[in-house]
Amino acid sequence: MKEMSRIVRTVTNFVYGFIIIFGFYIIVHGHLTPGGGFQGGAVVGSAFALLLVSYGSLNSKKFLKKDIFSLFENFGLILFIVLGFSGLGITFFYNFLANSGGWFGNTAVIGVNPGNMNTGGVIPLMNIAVGLEVLSAFGVIVLTMASAAEFTKKKENS
Amino acid sequence: MSSFVEIIHISTLVMMIIASFLAVVFKKLLPSIVALSVASLLLSLEFYLLHAPDVAIAEAAIGAGLTMAIFIFAIRGTR
Amino acid sequence: MKKIIFGIAFIIFFSFLIVSAINMRTFGEPTFSEMDDYFIENAQSETGANNVVTSIVFDYRGFDTLGEATVLFTAVVGVVALFRGVKK
Repeated sequence: MKEMSRIVRTVTNFVYGFIIIFGFYIIVHGHLTPGGGFQGGAVVGSAFALLLVSYGSLNSKKFLKKDIFSLFENFGLILFIVLGFSGLGITFFYNFLANSGGWFGNTAVIGVNPGNMNTGGVIPLMNIAVGLEVLSAFGVIVLTMASAAEFTKKKENS
Repeated sequence: MSSFVEIIHISTLVMMIIASFLAVVFKKLLPSIVALSVASLLLSLEFYLLHAPDVAIAEAAIGAGLTMAIFIFAIRGTR
Repeated sequence: MKKIIFGIAFIIFFSFLIVSAINMRTFGEPTFSEMDDYFIENAQSETGANNVVTSIVFDYRGFDTLGEATVLFTAVVGVVALFRGVKK
């Protein structure tokens, strides 16, 4: 697929970093503000789609690798399942880190408050795991479909 | 105050219906996809007005971003 | 004949939709439930997260989220297997 015009590429160079940082903000602050792993991963995936549309699939292969994406996806899903199983002393998916004083273990203030980053127990770790999985899943889907469109076009023209 | 919120709701829904109608009517494919994406973005605004910001973020990212990108890939592949 | 059958089926389906739309409760008044009150009262002290929606999604209903992640993984496996013949 050919790359788009110079205006689209310049705007993409300005914007895509901010979109990726906003997506990671939504993922990391999932237990304090609206959003979470799935929503932040979808925002980062839309930034990858923007890069692919504006630069074309051949040029994007230099900085978007499919193998790294699938590695991150497997890592996210395995981390999520391991976090679910590690509360198995009481129940499946038990929040064993909440209110314990260790990692993410501070007690939350009851009522309306701006929030403390160090609360939530196992929820921020699960947010990061699901965010990593959704991000790389959308990256793999968009990258595969872009190269498939390129391939069918080349095959029909020849 | 309440009537102002109602006016915003009704205008958002009417603009959604107009955008969906334009997505069917347009002859060219790329403007049709842009109209579909505008309808999805207005649906996300409606979710935000109904106090569901989680669903609004997911709808804006998937409906207006990724679906439009995949449709553009399909059009580029056929042309 | 086929048109008449389809028309009758459409009228029955549409009348079901209209009846359910008339019987719906008024806008902005959900059903009262003890579950909602329990979540709103105790979610902040039990899980320690300020966002009640996230604490329901990842803590109380964590098994549901595991299913969602598995569905997304299966979708990716399907897409990659469908386009496996595409050269780089």
